[in-house]
Amino acid sequence: MVRAALTGRHRIGREPAPYAPYVPAASVVVASLLAALPIMSSSGWYPDFGYLALISWRLLRADPWPAWWAAPLGLVNDLFTGCPIGFSVALWSASMLALDLIDRRTMWRDYWTEWALAAVLIGMDRWLQWWLAAITGARLSYFTIVPPLVVSICVFPISAWIVSRIDAWRLRR
Amino acid sequence: MATARPGWSRRAQYGLFFSFLAVIAGIIVGVILLTLSLVAPKSFNTVRGAALDVTAPITGALHEVTATAGGLFTGAGNYWDAANQNAKLKRERQAMLQRMVEAKAIFQENRQLKATLQLREREQNIVATGRIVGSSFNSPRRFAILSAGSTDGVRIGMPVRSPDGLVGRIIDVGALASRVLLVSDRANIVPARLLRGGIPVISQGRGDGTIDVRPLEVGRNPFKRGDIIITSGTGGLYPPLVPIARVVKLDDDGAIALPLADPANTSFAMVQPPFEPAAVAAESAPTSESP
Repeated sequence: MVRAALTGRHRIGREPAPYAPYVPAASVVVASLLAALPIMSSSGWYPDFGYLALISWRLLRADPWPAWWAAPLGLVNDLFTGCPIGFSVALWSASMLALDLIDRRTMWRDYWTEWALAAVLIGMDRWLQWWLAAITGARLSYFTIVPPLVVSICVFPISAWIVSRIDAWRLRR
Repeated sequence: MATARPGWSRRAQYGLFFSFLAVIAGIIVGVILLTLSLVAPKSFNTVRGAALDVTAPITGALHEVTATAGGLFTGAGNYWDAANQNAKLKRERQAMLQRMVEAKAIFQENRQLKATLQLREREQNIVATGRIVGSSFNSPRRFAILSAGSTDGVRIGMPVRSPDGLVGRIIDVGALASRVLLVSDRANIVPARLLRGGIPVISQGRGDGTIDVRPLEVGRNPFKRGDIIITSGTGGLYPPLVPIARVVKLDDDGAIALPLADPANTSFAMVQPPFEPAAVAAESAPTSESP
């Protein structure tokens, strides 16, 4: 792994933290909880923090959590963000499956590939939210997807960096 | 489950296969839940309310912090420009005093006219008062979190207003907090009229903090910049004569307006009972859609 080479010298006797297996899932829940911040926005341009954290972890590692955990994590996100219940459950599980299938096909990865993959997934997320709003009686123009999409795609590298820091911390690298 | 075949271990192969099955089961469960919450929006009311109760106290506490910090800054800014502001406020106060005397006279005349017409005056009582502490800042929908819940008497469907104007209506209720569908949400359609002339119009949110207003009668565009839109009371949910928005821009057959009750600056919001409960009950099916 290229990232491991960037994290400095390895020392003998440094083990991962005992709670290390639960840190990724916990950080996704915390990211979902960011929806409780007292931000008053008249336009929904902020990124979907929970989903960003989920795909950042999944793109960094193949096994941040057992794959089926995506469903309960999605349920937590639905409850905290006010999405219709079941939306994130289905979308997050489907993203895990899609990334597994993509992992089988790709021969190599670099940062640009990951960013492009993340952009496609974020685009799906935003489009599905738009579609869901449309069938529940709030049909907006297509243009309204663009600003939050651009914001989310630009925020992804930051999210990926934070996740890689958390990963290094939990594994005591 | 990263590689196609995790070696020769039968156990590892089964593990991989079952984790695939688990993910597919997750997708199926998600789709079923989603269908249920779209077809029968009321089925998850309790769970959604409970989640609101979990997050709303956190949001409320953080809101206090940011409001205090913001208050310090604006307070400092006010001191900076105190002399200018003082003079301006004095001028405004003079103008307001004259307007107030006129308004008092009109109010008295109005009361006499109503008495002669023997119009029944409806008492508009307030169910609960709360703070707007949060919003759906990462969604195409426009919701706000209000710090008053079912223990304060708030029920789904009740209109919410602030001293400045109409905020929206309640769509989710927890014990301590509730979720408000703002007037700037696309799904929130409010029967309204123009304050100048009383022409009936329809107000519908645009999802970006502004409101689309269209006249009910097609033809000439009745709007002017600066026009105030108020509720008409038609439909029985929203009380009449509550200001909604001010027109900022005209387009070909209507106008775009800015809500007068900006959730970002609204400190308190009041929950009122539906204006004509009987009328709302009669057509509750189309008015109670879910988020």
